[in-house]
Amino acid sequence: MRARLIASGVSKRYGATTILDNVDLTVAGGEVVALTGENGAGKTTLMRICAGVLANDAGVVRSDAPIGYCPQEAGLFELLTADEHLVMFGRGAGLSRSDALRRGNEILAEFGYPLHERVVVRDLSGGTRQKLNLAIALLADPAVLLLDEPYQGFDHGTYVNFWDHCQTWRERGIAVVVVTHMLAELDRVDRVVELPAHPSRSHGRVRS
Amino acid sequence: MKRIGRVVLMAEMHGRDLIRRHAALGLLIALPLSFYLASAGRDQRAPVTGGIGMSFAVSGAALFSIMSARAVDQRLVLAGYRPIELLLGRLGFLGPLALALAAAFTALMAAMSSPARIGIVALGLAAVALQAVPFGLAVGAAVPRELEGALVVICVIGVQLASATGTAVSKALPFYGPQRIIEAGLEHHGALLVPALHTLGYGMALLIVARMLIARRVYVRKPSPPDAAA
Repeated sequence: MRARLIASGVSKRYGATTILDNVDLTVAGGEVVALTGENGAGKTTLMRICAGVLANDAGVVRSDAPIGYCPQEAGLFELLTADEHLVMFGRGAGLSRSDALRRGNEILAEFGYPLHERVVVRDLSGGTRQKLNLAIALLADPAVLLLDEPYQGFDHGTYVNFWDHCQTWRERGIAVVVVTHMLAELDRVDRVVELPAHPSRSHGRVRS
Repeated sequence: MKRIGRVVLMAEMHGRDLIRRHAALGLLIALPLSFYLASAGRDQRAPVTGGIGMSFAVSGAALFSIMSARAVDQRLVLAGYRPIELLLGRLGFLGPLALALAAAFTALMAAMSSPARIGIVALGLAAVALQAVPFGLAVGAAVPRELEGALVVICVIGVQLASATGTAVSKALPFYGPQRIIEAGLEHHGALLVPALHTLGYGMALLIVARMLIARRVYVRKPSPPDAAA
Protein backbone atom coordinates (compact mmCIF):
# COMPACT_ATOMS: atom_id res chain seq x y z
CA MET A 1 0.00 0.00 0.00
CA ARG A 2 1.11 3.56 -0.54
CA ALA A 3 2.83 5.58 2.14
CA ARG A 4 0.46 7.56 4.37
CA LEU A 5 3.12 9.21 6.49
CA ILE A 6 6.60 10.22 5.33
CA ALA A 7 9.07 11.95 7.62
CA SER A 8 12.28 12.85 5.81
CA GLY A 9 15.48 14.23 7.27
CA VAL A 10 13.81 15.33 10.51
CA SER A 11 16.10 17.05 12.98
CA LYS A 12 15.41 18.59 16.35
CA ARG A 13 17.63 20.23 18.91
CA TYR A 14 16.87 21.51 22.41
CA GLY A 15 19.55 24.06 23.07
CA ALA A 16 22.90 22.36 22.56
CA THR A 17 21.41 18.87 22.71
CA THR A 18 20.57 17.12 19.49
CA ILE A 19 17.50 14.95 19.97
CA LEU A 20 16.92 13.91 16.37
CA ASP A 21 19.40 14.19 13.56
CA ASN A 22 18.23 13.58 10.01
CA VAL A 23 15.68 10.90 10.88
CA ASP A 24 13.54 9.22 8.24
CA LEU A 25 10.31 7.38 8.91
CA THR A 26 7.85 6.10 6.33
CA VAL A 27 4.65 4.25 7.18
CA ALA A 28 2.31 2.74 4.63
CA GLY A 29 -1.42 2.22 4.98
CA GLY A 30 -2.13 -1.14 6.61
CA GLU A 31 1.26 -1.22 8.26
CA VAL A 32 2.00 -1.32 11.99
CA VAL A 33 5.40 0.12 12.86
CA ALA A 34 6.95 -0.10 16.32
CA LEU A 35 9.16 2.84 17.20
CA THR A 36 11.71 1.78 19.78
CA GLY A 37 14.85 3.14 21.35
CA GLU A 38 16.39 3.93 24.69
CA ASN A 39 15.06 6.62 26.96
CA GLY A 40 15.93 9.99 25.48
CA ALA A 41 16.38 8.63 21.97
CA GLY A 42 13.71 11.02 20.71
CA LYS A 43 10.73 8.73 20.15
CA THR A 44 8.20 11.08 21.70
CA THR A 45 9.81 14.05 19.99
CA LEU A 46 9.52 12.34 16.61
CA MET A 47 5.87 11.46 17.27
CA ARG A 48 5.07 15.02 18.29
CA ILE A 49 6.74 16.35 15.16
CA CYS A 50 4.82 13.89 12.96
CA ALA A 51 1.57 14.91 14.69
CA GLY A 52 2.38 18.57 14.08
CA VAL A 53 2.37 19.69 17.70
CA LEU A 54 6.12 20.31 17.79
CA ALA A 55 8.14 22.19 15.19
CA ASN A 56 11.12 20.44 13.68
CA ASP A 57 14.34 22.33 12.99
CA ALA A 58 14.93 20.59 9.68
CA GLY A 59 13.27 18.04 7.44
CA VAL A 60 9.71 17.62 6.34
CA VAL A 61 6.68 15.57 7.36
CA ARG A 62 4.27 14.66 4.59
CA SER A 63 0.83 13.15 4.80
CA ASP A 64 -2.47 13.59 3.07
CA ALA A 65 -4.41 11.61 5.66
CA PRO A 66 -6.18 12.60 8.87
CA ILE A 67 -3.91 11.88 11.82
CA GLY A 68 -4.98 10.57 15.20
CA TYR A 69 -2.46 11.28 17.94
CA CYS A 70 -2.43 9.64 21.36
CA PRO A 71 0.22 11.46 23.42
CA GLN A 72 2.15 9.81 26.22
CA GLU A 73 0.81 12.36 28.69
CA ALA A 74 -2.97 12.37 28.29
CA GLY A 75 -3.98 15.94 27.49
CA LEU A 76 -7.35 16.00 29.22
CA PHE A 77 -9.44 18.36 31.32
CA GLU A 78 -9.20 17.14 34.90
CA LEU A 79 -12.72 18.26 35.76
CA LEU A 80 -14.63 17.08 32.70
CA THR A 81 -16.13 13.62 32.23
CA ALA A 82 -15.31 11.19 29.44
CA ASP A 83 -18.56 12.02 27.63
CA GLU A 84 -17.79 15.72 27.77
CA HIS A 85 -14.38 15.06 26.25
CA LEU A 86 -15.90 12.97 23.49
CA VAL A 87 -18.41 15.69 22.63
CA MET A 88 -15.76 18.39 22.65
CA PHE A 89 -13.18 16.55 20.55
CA GLY A 90 -15.85 15.09 18.29
CA ARG A 91 -17.20 18.54 17.47
CA GLY A 92 -13.69 19.62 16.48
CA ALA A 93 -13.67 16.79 13.97
CA GLY A 94 -17.10 17.75 12.67
CA LEU A 95 -19.15 15.13 14.55
CA SER A 96 -22.48 16.00 16.11
CA ARG A 97 -22.90 15.60 19.85
CA SER A 98 -24.84 12.33 19.45
CA ASP A 99 -22.45 10.91 16.85
CA ALA A 100 -19.42 11.75 18.99
CA LEU A 101 -20.98 10.06 22.02
CA ARG A 102 -22.06 7.00 20.09
CA ARG A 103 -18.74 6.55 18.33
CA GLY A 104 -16.69 7.41 21.42
CA ASN A 105 -18.62 5.08 23.69
CA GLU A 106 -18.22 2.26 21.17
CA ILE A 107 -14.44 2.73 21.24
CA LEU A 108 -14.36 3.01 25.03
CA ALA A 109 -16.44 -0.16 25.35
CA GLU A 110 -13.99 -2.01 23.08
CA PHE A 111 -11.22 -1.20 25.54
CA GLY A 112 -13.25 -2.08 28.62
CA TYR A 113 -13.83 1.46 29.84
CA PRO A 114 -16.36 1.50 32.72
CA LEU A 115 -19.07 3.41 30.87
CA HIS A 116 -21.37 3.39 33.91
CA GLU A 117 -18.93 5.62 35.77
CA ARG A 118 -19.75 9.24 35.03
CA VAL A 119 -16.88 10.71 36.99
CA VAL A 120 -14.51 13.47 36.01
CA VAL A 121 -11.07 12.59 34.66
CA ARG A 122 -9.37 13.53 37.94
CA ASP A 123 -11.12 10.60 39.62
CA LEU A 124 -10.15 8.04 36.99
CA SER A 125 -7.32 5.54 37.42
CA GLY A 126 -4.26 5.97 35.21
CA GLY A 127 -5.22 3.09 32.93
CA THR A 128 -8.82 4.25 32.55
CA ARG A 129 -7.63 7.74 31.77
CA GLN A 130 -5.36 6.27 29.12
CA LYS A 131 -8.32 4.46 27.54
CA LEU A 132 -10.05 7.81 27.14
CA ASN A 133 -6.83 9.27 25.73
CA LEU A 134 -6.75 6.49 23.14
CA ALA A 135 -10.46 6.84 22.32
CA ILE A 136 -10.00 10.54 21.56
CA ALA A 137 -7.20 9.68 19.11
CA LEU A 138 -9.51 7.20 17.37
CA LEU A 139 -12.66 9.30 17.44
CA ALA A 140 -12.41 10.86 13.98
CA ASP A 141 -11.52 7.63 12.14
CA PRO A 142 -7.92 8.61 11.36
CA ALA A 143 -5.96 7.04 8.51
CA VAL A 144 -2.69 7.53 10.41
CA LEU A 145 -2.45 6.62 14.10
CA LEU A 146 0.44 7.87 16.21
CA LEU A 147 0.38 6.10 19.57
CA ASP A 148 2.96 7.06 22.15
CA GLU A 149 3.05 4.20 24.67
CA PRO A 150 -0.75 4.14 24.67
CA TYR A 151 -1.12 1.12 26.94
CA GLN A 152 0.47 2.63 30.06
CA GLY A 153 -1.58 1.61 33.07
CA PHE A 154 -3.64 -0.92 31.11
CA ASP A 155 -4.47 -4.15 32.88
CA HIS A 156 -3.25 -7.34 31.20
CA GLY A 157 -6.52 -8.05 29.37
CA THR A 158 -6.73 -4.54 27.91
CA TYR A 159 -3.06 -4.68 26.99
CA VAL A 160 -3.57 -7.86 24.97
CA ASN A 161 -6.73 -6.34 23.54
CA PHE A 162 -4.75 -3.30 22.42
CA TRP A 163 -2.39 -5.41 20.32
CA ASP A 164 -5.37 -7.26 18.88
CA HIS A 165 -6.73 -3.88 17.84
CA CYS A 166 -3.47 -3.12 16.07
CA GLN A 167 -4.25 -6.11 13.87
CA THR A 168 -7.76 -4.74 13.21
CA TRP A 169 -6.40 -1.31 12.34
CA ARG A 170 -3.90 -2.92 9.97
CA GLU A 171 -6.71 -4.78 8.21
CA ARG A 172 -8.62 -1.51 7.85
CA GLY A 173 -5.66 0.05 6.05
CA ILE A 174 -4.65 2.41 8.82
CA ALA A 175 -1.00 3.38 9.12
CA VAL A 176 -0.06 2.80 12.76
CA VAL A 177 3.06 3.89 14.64
CA VAL A 178 3.37 2.62 18.22
CA VAL A 179 6.11 3.82 20.52
CA THR A 180 6.89 0.83 22.67
CA HIS A 181 9.42 -0.72 24.98
CA MET A 182 7.54 -4.01 25.00
CA LEU A 183 9.95 -6.09 22.97
CA ALA A 184 7.87 -9.23 23.54
CA GLU A 185 5.17 -7.79 21.30
CA LEU A 186 7.42 -6.90 18.38
CA ASP A 187 6.33 -10.03 16.53
CA ARG A 188 2.89 -8.41 16.30
CA VAL A 189 4.13 -5.48 14.22
CA ASP A 190 5.23 -5.33 10.60
CA ARG A 191 8.38 -3.36 11.13
CA VAL A 192 10.55 -2.07 13.94
CA VAL A 193 12.25 1.29 13.66
CA GLU A 194 14.84 1.83 16.35
CA LEU A 195 16.12 5.27 17.15
CA PRO A 196 19.75 5.07 18.22
CA ALA A 197 20.92 6.16 21.63
CA HIS A 198 23.39 8.67 20.27
CA PRO A 199 21.47 11.58 18.80
CA SER A 200 24.40 12.74 16.70
CA ARG A 201 24.00 9.55 14.67
CA SER A 202 20.23 9.53 14.89
CA HIS A 203 18.94 7.77 11.82
CA GLY A 204 15.90 5.55 12.24
CA ARG A 205 16.88 2.09 11.09
CA VAL A 206 14.88 -0.98 10.28
CA ARG A 207 15.57 -3.95 12.52
CA SER A 208 13.11 -6.49 11.20
CA MET B 1 -23.25 28.41 12.13
CA LYS B 2 -20.81 25.55 12.50
CA ARG B 3 -18.19 27.83 14.00
CA ILE B 4 -20.68 29.47 16.34
CA GLY B 5 -21.73 26.03 17.52
CA ARG B 6 -18.12 25.15 18.28
CA VAL B 7 -17.59 28.37 20.18
CA VAL B 8 -20.77 27.79 22.19
CA LEU B 9 -19.63 24.25 22.97
CA MET B 10 -16.23 25.55 24.08
CA ALA B 11 -17.96 28.07 26.35
CA GLU B 12 -20.12 25.29 27.80
CA MET B 13 -17.16 23.01 28.49
CA HIS B 14 -15.00 25.75 29.98
CA GLY B 15 -17.97 26.68 32.12
CA ARG B 16 -18.41 23.12 33.37
CA ASP B 17 -14.69 22.85 34.11
CA LEU B 18 -14.64 26.12 36.02
CA ILE B 19 -17.89 25.69 37.92
CA ARG B 20 -16.59 22.39 39.33
CA ARG B 21 -13.76 24.27 41.02
CA HIS B 22 -16.07 25.22 43.88
CA ALA B 23 -13.45 25.88 46.51
CA ALA B 24 -11.16 27.92 44.29
CA LEU B 25 -14.03 30.01 42.94
CA GLY B 26 -15.38 30.56 46.44
CA LEU B 27 -12.02 31.80 47.66
CA LEU B 28 -11.61 34.05 44.64
CA ILE B 29 -14.94 35.73 45.36
CA ALA B 30 -14.34 35.84 49.11
CA LEU B 31 -11.17 37.85 48.63
CA PRO B 32 -12.66 41.03 47.09
CA LEU B 33 -15.77 40.59 49.19
CA SER B 34 -13.69 40.68 52.35
CA PHE B 35 -11.80 43.70 51.00
CA TYR B 36 -15.08 45.52 50.58
CA LEU B 37 -16.80 44.39 53.76
CA ALA B 38 -13.75 45.24 55.87
CA SER B 39 -13.96 48.89 54.90
CA ALA B 40 -17.60 49.39 53.87
CA GLY B 41 -18.74 50.91 57.14
CA ARG B 42 -15.96 53.45 57.60
CA ASP B 43 -14.37 54.24 54.27
CA GLN B 44 -16.12 56.10 51.48
CA ARG B 45 -13.73 54.54 48.97
CA ALA B 46 -14.75 51.01 49.91
CA PRO B 47 -16.51 50.49 46.54
CA VAL B 48 -13.23 51.31 44.78
CA THR B 49 -11.31 48.82 46.90
CA GLY B 50 -13.98 46.16 46.53
CA GLY B 51 -14.52 46.91 42.86
CA ILE B 52 -10.89 46.74 41.82
CA GLY B 53 -10.44 43.80 44.17
CA MET B 54 -13.19 42.07 42.23
CA SER B 55 -10.74 41.79 39.36
CA PHE B 56 -8.90 39.20 41.50
CA ALA B 57 -11.91 36.92 41.18
CA VAL B 58 -12.42 37.37 37.46
CA SER B 59 -8.75 37.36 36.48
CA GLY B 60 -8.22 34.32 38.67
CA ALA B 61 -11.09 32.49 37.01
CA ALA B 62 -9.69 33.35 33.58
CA LEU B 63 -6.26 32.22 34.71
CA PHE B 64 -7.58 28.87 35.96
CA SER B 65 -9.53 28.43 32.74
CA ILE B 66 -6.50 28.81 30.53
CA MET B 67 -4.01 27.02 32.77
CA SER B 68 -6.22 23.97 33.24
CA ALA B 69 -6.38 23.61 29.45
CA ARG B 70 -2.67 23.96 28.90
CA ALA B 71 -2.21 20.34 27.87
CA VAL B 72 -5.50 20.16 26.00
CA ASP B 73 -5.66 23.28 23.86
CA GLN B 74 -3.11 22.17 21.29
CA ARG B 75 -4.80 18.80 21.05
CA LEU B 76 -8.12 20.53 20.42
CA VAL B 77 -6.53 22.46 17.56
CA LEU B 78 -5.14 19.19 16.24
CA ALA B 79 -8.71 17.83 16.44
CA GLY B 80 -9.93 20.63 14.20
CA TYR B 81 -10.60 23.72 16.32
CA ARG B 82 -9.16 27.09 15.42
CA PRO B 83 -7.27 28.97 18.14
CA ILE B 84 -9.71 31.87 17.89
CA GLU B 85 -12.57 29.47 18.68
CA LEU B 86 -10.81 28.42 21.89
CA LEU B 87 -10.41 32.08 22.88
CA LEU B 88 -13.98 33.04 21.98
CA GLY B 89 -15.30 30.03 23.86
CA ARG B 90 -13.56 31.19 27.03
CA LEU B 91 -14.81 34.73 26.52
CA GLY B 92 -18.30 33.37 25.95
CA PHE B 93 -18.38 31.88 29.44
CA LEU B 94 -16.13 34.22 31.40
CA GLY B 95 -17.74 37.43 30.10
CA PRO B 96 -21.26 36.68 31.37
CA LEU B 97 -19.85 35.20 34.60
CA ALA B 98 -17.86 38.38 35.20
CA LEU B 99 -20.88 40.59 34.52
CA ALA B 100 -23.02 38.52 36.89
CA LEU B 101 -20.39 39.01 39.58
CA ALA B 102 -20.32 42.75 38.87
CA ALA B 103 -24.12 42.86 39.19
CA ALA B 104 -23.93 41.11 42.59
CA PHE B 105 -21.26 43.53 43.82
CA THR B 106 -23.31 46.46 42.53
CA ALA B 107 -26.34 45.31 44.52
CA LEU B 108 -24.23 44.86 47.63
CA MET B 109 -22.63 48.30 47.27
CA ALA B 110 -25.98 49.96 46.61
CA ALA B 111 -27.26 48.52 49.89
CA MET B 112 -24.19 49.18 52.02
CA SER B 113 -22.42 52.24 50.61
CA SER B 114 -25.20 54.25 48.94
CA PRO B 115 -22.96 55.80 46.28
CA ALA B 116 -24.07 59.09 44.70
CA ARG B 117 -24.54 57.58 41.25
CA ILE B 118 -25.09 53.85 41.52
CA GLY B 119 -25.53 53.54 37.76
CA ILE B 120 -22.01 54.88 37.19
CA VAL B 121 -20.63 52.58 39.88
CA ALA B 122 -22.34 49.69 38.12
CA LEU B 123 -20.71 50.78 34.86
CA GLY B 124 -17.33 50.89 36.59
CA LEU B 125 -17.77 47.43 38.09
CA ALA B 126 -18.80 46.06 34.68
CA ALA B 127 -15.66 47.66 33.23
CA VAL B 128 -13.54 45.98 35.93
CA ALA B 129 -15.19 42.66 35.19
CA LEU B 130 -14.76 42.85 31.44
CA GLN B 131 -11.20 44.16 31.68
CA ALA B 132 -10.21 41.37 34.05
CA VAL B 133 -11.15 38.62 31.58
CA PRO B 134 -8.59 39.44 28.85
CA PHE B 135 -6.10 40.39 31.57
CA GLY B 136 -6.35 36.94 33.17
CA LEU B 137 -6.25 35.22 29.79
CA ALA B 138 -3.18 37.18 28.66
CA VAL B 139 -1.35 36.44 31.92
CA GLY B 140 -2.35 32.77 31.75
CA ALA B 141 -1.11 32.46 28.18
CA ALA B 142 2.18 34.18 29.01
CA VAL B 143 3.33 32.34 32.13
CA PRO B 144 4.32 28.67 32.44
CA ARG B 145 2.44 27.76 35.64
CA GLU B 146 -0.51 28.81 37.79
CA LEU B 147 1.73 30.03 40.62
CA GLU B 148 3.53 32.53 38.41
CA GLY B 149 0.23 33.64 36.92
CA ALA B 150 -1.37 34.17 40.34
CA LEU B 151 1.64 36.20 41.47
CA VAL B 152 1.47 38.45 38.39
CA VAL B 153 -2.26 39.02 38.93
CA ILE B 154 -1.75 39.79 42.63
CA CYS B 155 1.14 42.13 41.84
CA VAL B 156 -0.66 44.14 39.14
CA ILE B 157 -3.94 44.49 41.03
CA GLY B 158 -2.13 45.17 44.30
CA VAL B 159 -0.12 47.97 42.73
CA GLN B 160 -3.29 49.33 41.10
CA LEU B 161 -4.99 49.47 44.51
CA ALA B 162 -1.96 50.96 46.24
CA SER B 163 -1.21 53.64 43.65
CA ALA B 164 -2.80 57.04 44.00
CA THR B 165 -5.24 57.72 41.19
CA GLY B 166 -3.72 59.90 38.49
CA THR B 167 -0.10 58.88 38.97
CA ALA B 168 1.83 57.56 35.99
CA VAL B 169 2.00 54.10 37.55
CA SER B 170 -1.74 54.01 38.09
CA LYS B 171 -2.42 55.14 34.52
CA ALA B 172 -0.14 52.47 33.11
CA LEU B 173 -2.08 49.64 34.74
CA PRO B 174 -5.15 47.93 33.26
CA PHE B 175 -7.72 48.93 35.88
CA TYR B 176 -7.06 52.67 35.89
CA GLY B 177 -10.04 53.38 33.64
CA PRO B 178 -12.53 51.27 35.62
CA GLN B 179 -11.19 52.74 38.87
CA ARG B 180 -11.84 56.29 37.61
CA ILE B 181 -15.36 55.34 36.56
CA ILE B 182 -16.16 53.89 40.00
CA GLU B 183 -14.71 57.02 41.65
CA ALA B 184 -16.92 59.17 39.43
CA GLY B 185 -19.92 57.19 40.65
CA LEU B 186 -19.10 57.96 44.27
CA GLU B 187 -19.48 61.69 43.67
CA HIS B 188 -21.81 63.87 41.66
CA HIS B 189 -19.14 64.72 39.09
CA GLY B 190 -16.23 63.13 37.28
CA ALA B 191 -15.24 62.51 33.68
CA LEU B 192 -16.31 59.26 32.11
CA LEU B 193 -15.17 59.47 28.50
CA VAL B 194 -11.41 59.29 29.06
CA PRO B 195 -11.61 56.40 31.58
CA ALA B 196 -14.01 54.58 29.28
CA LEU B 197 -11.62 55.00 26.33
CA HIS B 198 -8.68 53.91 28.51
CA THR B 199 -10.62 50.80 29.49
CA LEU B 200 -11.62 50.04 25.93
CA GLY B 201 -8.14 50.56 24.51
CA TYR B 202 -6.44 48.57 27.25
CA GLY B 203 -9.00 45.79 26.98
CA MET B 204 -8.56 45.49 23.24
CA ALA B 205 -4.78 45.45 23.61
CA LEU B 206 -4.98 42.71 26.25
CA LEU B 207 -7.30 40.72 24.04
CA ILE B 208 -4.91 40.97 21.10
CA VAL B 209 -1.99 39.93 23.31
CA ALA B 210 -4.01 36.96 24.64
CA ARG B 211 -4.98 36.00 21.08
CA MET B 212 -1.37 36.09 19.89
CA LEU B 213 0.01 34.17 22.86
CA ILE B 214 -2.67 31.48 22.69
CA ALA B 215 -2.20 31.10 18.93
CA ARG B 216 1.55 30.65 19.40
CA ARG B 217 1.09 28.16 22.22
CA VAL B 218 -1.39 25.95 20.40
CA TYR B 219 0.18 26.15 16.95
CA VAL B 220 -0.16 22.95 14.96
CA ARG B 221 1.93 22.39 11.88
CA LYS B 222 -0.09 20.51 9.29
CA PRO B 223 1.93 17.91 7.36
CA SER B 224 2.84 18.85 3.83
CA PRO B 225 1.00 17.01 1.06
CA PRO B 226 2.99 14.03 -0.25
CA ASP B 227 3.94 15.66 -3.54
CA ALA B 228 5.16 18.92 -1.97
CA ALA B 229 8.80 19.84 -2.35
CA ALA B 230 10.89 19.38 0.76
